[in-house]
Amino acid sequence: MNGLGFLLSIVSSLLFPGIIAVTKAKLSGRKGPGIFQPLFDAARLFRKGSIYSVTTSIIFQIAPVIYFASIVVALLFMPFGQYKGFLSFEVDFVFFSYLLAVGKFVMIIGAMDTGSGFEGMGANREALYSMLVEPAFFILMGSLALLTNHTSFYSLFVHIHFDSVLSYLIALLAIYLFVQIAMVENSRIPIDDPKTHLELTMIHEVMVLDNSGFDMCLIHLATGLKFALYGGLIANFIFPDTWPLYTQIAVFLMVNLLFVIAVGFLEAFRARNKLEKNPKWILTLSSISMVVFLSVLVIVHKYFLE
Amino acid sequence: MTTFSLLLLFELTLIILSFTERVKRFLTMLMIQGVLLFGIAYLQLQHINALYLAFILLETIIIKGLLVPLFLNQMRKRNNFNRLAHSKVSTFITVMAISAAIVFGFLLSSNIHDDNLQTKFFAASIATIITGIYFMIVHRNIFTHIIGYLIMENGVFLFSLAVGSEMPMLVNTAILLDIFVGVLVLGIFANRVGDTFKNMHVDDLAQLKH
Amino acid sequence: MYLIVFQLLFVLTFGIFILSKRHMSYFGLFIQLGLAGITSYWSVDVLIHGTVFERELLISFWGNPLEIKVDSLSAFFILVLNFTLLTGTMYSAGYLKPYINEKNRAEFGLHYFSLVWLHISMLLVCMLRDGLAFLVVWELMAVSSFFLVIFESEKEETVKAGIYYLLEMHVGLVLIMAGFIYAFVQTGAVFSFDGLTVYFARFHPFPLFLLFFMGFGIKAGFIPFHTWLPHAHPAAPSHISGIMSSVMIKMGIYGILRVLTYIHTDLLAIGIFILIISAISGLLGVMYAIMQHDLKKLLAYHSIENIGIIGIGIGIGLIGVAKDIPVLAALGFTGGILHVLNHSLFKSLLFYSAGSIYMRTHTRHIEHLGGLIKRMPVTALLFLLGAMAICGLPPFNGFISEFLIYFGLFKGLRTADFQTDLTILGAIICLALIGGLAIFCFTKVFSIVFLGTARSRLSENVKEIRGGMIFPKILAGIMIVTIGIFPLYFVKAAGKVAGLYVEDIPLIIQNAPPLSNVSRASLVFILLTAFLWFLRRMQQKRVQIEHGPTWGCGYSGADPAVHQYTATSFAENYRELASPILKVDKHFELLKEEEIFPRPRSFKTETGDMLEENLIEKPIRRIIYWMEKAAMFQTGNLQHYIMYAFLFAGLIFLLTIFKLI
Repeated sequence: MNGLGFLLSIVSSLLFPGIIAVTKAKLSGRKGPGIFQPLFDAARLFRKGSIYSVTTSIIFQIAPVIYFASIVVALLFMPFGQYKGFLSFEVDFVFFSYLLAVGKFVMIIGAMDTGSGFEGMGANREALYSMLVEPAFFILMGSLALLTNHTSFYSLFVHIHFDSVLSYLIALLAIYLFVQIAMVENSRIPIDDPKTHLELTMIHEVMVLDNSGFDMCLIHLATGLKFALYGGLIANFIFPDTWPLYTQIAVFLMVNLLFVIAVGFLEAFRARNKLEKNPKWILTLSSISMVVFLSVLVIVHKYFLE
Repeated sequence: MTTFSLLLLFELTLIILSFTERVKRFLTMLMIQGVLLFGIAYLQLQHINALYLAFILLETIIIKGLLVPLFLNQMRKRNNFNRLAHSKVSTFITVMAISAAIVFGFLLSSNIHDDNLQTKFFAASIATIITGIYFMIVHRNIFTHIIGYLIMENGVFLFSLAVGSEMPMLVNTAILLDIFVGVLVLGIFANRVGDTFKNMHVDDLAQLKH
Repeated sequence: MYLIVFQLLFVLTFGIFILSKRHMSYFGLFIQLGLAGITSYWSVDVLIHGTVFERELLISFWGNPLEIKVDSLSAFFILVLNFTLLTGTMYSAGYLKPYINEKNRAEFGLHYFSLVWLHISMLLVCMLRDGLAFLVVWELMAVSSFFLVIFESEKEETVKAGIYYLLEMHVGLVLIMAGFIYAFVQTGAVFSFDGLTVYFARFHPFPLFLLFFMGFGIKAGFIPFHTWLPHAHPAAPSHISGIMSSVMIKMGIYGILRVLTYIHTDLLAIGIFILIISAISGLLGVMYAIMQHDLKKLLAYHSIENIGIIGIGIGIGLIGVAKDIPVLAALGFTGGILHVLNHSLFKSLLFYSAGSIYMRTHTRHIEHLGGLIKRMPVTALLFLLGAMAICGLPPFNGFISEFLIYFGLFKGLRTADFQTDLTILGAIICLALIGGLAIFCFTKVFSIVFLGTARSRLSENVKEIRGGMIFPKILAGIMIVTIGIFPLYFVKAAGKVAGLYVEDIPLIIQNAPPLSNVSRASLVFILLTAFLWFLRRMQQKRVQIEHGPTWGCGYSGADPAVHQYTATSFAENYRELASPILKVDKHFELLKEEEIFPRPRSFKTETGDMLEENLIEKPIRRIIYWMEKAAMFQTGNLQHYIMYAFLFAGLIFLLTIFKLI
């Protein structure tokens, strides 16, 4: 049963982009595409041929493959209640985070490979933002490790307990941080609006302007997977492992669904940040996680309250 | 622990303040700080004289939480002043500085061992006072100076909670008076300056010498 | 037997001068192979059995027999430096070929002679314990590397950088010497490393440690003692920059670690001190690196960053020892020491690649390069390997050492007290930021140098370098991947060294870090990538593949050669954030009012090192200013000089009368 989290995440990842699109369409009074439209798109792309720029090299071709592989392997770490992920070891979140960094690294150089000025803009923003968000994730995981005295995704989520007002507050903040980190990692609102029409202000979408066919198919699927990555973590964070299995599965899927619908809501109602404001905004995530860390120190009685 | 949760929220307001640009958001944060202080004071001071307690509670929620922000909001509307002008120091550094101030508060308070000192309030108050002073140093706007002043006063309130539960009454009454007069004077002043110069930069005041 | 051969090889080095220019490199390599073979044999033996190897050399030194002593610390460093020096010499054969006609035999001979002696001196630095002998070989190391740096001595800036380097090395030497002498005078024990035991047992260790730290820190390149690196590395030939950056600066780390073996008290203060200095070095190193446009200067700043990471490992290790948190101590030291090996591998690979680029394009300025992956594919892929390794990305070696440090930090969180926890948090933030900044930097470098299209004529029609120069790079590349995927033996070796500082290392190394799991995850990652690549090949066979220009977002005139990103523009958003600590000079000329037909103009930005400016250059300018003021006394008039002598005599007379002297 290990790896249940992986399978469930894969399943839900396929529907994520569709659900977000539908939510956004309904909220803005449009009819919108069907939930399965992104899947049809991916299937169509899989059958299609590709065009490669003469400026590009092997880097451009291999980048989407490595990117996709990095996210899938990261998903292998996904625990599920009392079941471990396929891969699970101590301090696996460091590996997880660095693996995602590999994906970002190759996508950045892949975008630069085209020699397009627009893709350069996306690439360097991606590089800057992912650099800034890294500490927030590590501090957050450090706080959870300190709180539970465990250091792998699996044992961390199994041993997490909330009993006081302060710990509920910390849990809320942690979920908030997970959601926001997911938004930065996926380049969604408020960092970036994937549906904008101006290449000058985009991040992720502008990096993949030249990809087509199979590569584009992988990139589309990867978007859903990346959402599933964080949705799964949040779901694990919420439900305790003592619940019966079927309830857990239902709750897991529910939380994932809520997460994407929330993303849809956010994207429908919230404006994106001004581009120059982004670095500051991302930095505050680190600040907030630092406050979480300090509060955890209070909970584990290292900072003495009388 | 519950008191600490409120303090935690209080420190979060400081972080939000650090990257805020809209004046309205500043005032909302001040209001929230007032309400939080009300909660903290209520939890902490339950054992003191009911009259004093009532006074402090009223002071926090009505003056800090309502009157002052609303007054400032009036001023904002009158002068049509919605966004803070850029200060010389980038917001990026402000966020880092205020986070550092919070950690510094904790570090400092963990080093002090005194029975009369309640470390958690001390930690929060240090961070708050530093934030207030920082705002007054960095920004050139009178309005931001008032806000910095008010943040600092909240810090002093926390500080008075830290040094003993009997003190706040006395300290607070005195400070309250100062603040009230201060805000009033600065407010009128800012209104006048706003009329004269169209914006409220401290730099412009230098012109008044001539 | 081996010992005799070992010393015979010292004498053989003089044979270099009688050979022809073409054969010098092979002879040098032959001697180095001998040296490396013997010392590696000793070292591996020491590391496996955990013994200490002690022999007396035939040479005596001031009447005392000279003793060499190899413990696990020395053994580890000897193995690291043997590998890099061998690859360096192999690389040099091809790299120096263009100079064969320019340089005469004496110059070539001196170069290889110095190279072999650099190897010998570094080996001896690791093996000698006697204070005086150590200082002599330390000096020998500085001088031989000085000769190596100034190989292109016809260039004025090279000689300038070389002399600058030599001067800083001597400041370091004086500080180390002062450390030895001070300990000797205070205790009267033997004038050697072992004599320090007595001092540290009897006195407060921090001040003397500080002296040694500054001395060795200048070699290692900790900020603020780093100023020689960005000058010497670009000036030196690439194999020399590779060797210096990969192993010679590690001799500083060796010295610090050696001194630390004798200190058993006051470790907390020392640990925090090292941690702070290292965190600053790590962060500022990479932050300055991003703004550099000279490829080798950029790599030099990255050396500072990596020294910082090593220092962070050592620092938290010491804190762990002081606070009695075994896992923090063990993994901090192990990670830091393993990073010494790792950095030597990827940094030499990167410098050799930079050398290959320089050899073909004759420029180190990255804004003039571009699109090289199509013309130098092997170099490009090897550079990419090194770049990903230096960023600490899995499945390469840089990740393993950073992972160990992270592991110690996260595991140590629970048992530590409040203040140690905050320290650990600081270290985690620093490591995470350094990682992110390194990714920023190397995506920039790789993209600008190798991707897109050529940015100037220089990089247009170049050819791939020949096999002889690729081979040493492939060796380093193989090591990088091996350590990345099968790290266990290397971690054990580093753990042996860490055992000098922490007791229960083997237990922790064997039980705690899930290295086999990391290798498994890395393998899964590689296999999945390979499978997807295969799938993609299958898919692409069935469909139509076309080629066309890059999509210009609707602009039909879009041309990568004109519109592609430059290094400056890639770093622009970073520069905005980091502007307080950077010193960016813009050189341009404003349009004058009377200029009706403007002349062509140029715009140039240059990023200086703020620390160097404030710590070195400003004080020196101040001193020179006062010196020049003082020069007014030097009138050249004989009468004045006689008057000075008279005044001086009078002054002495007065002072004696008033009993002041």
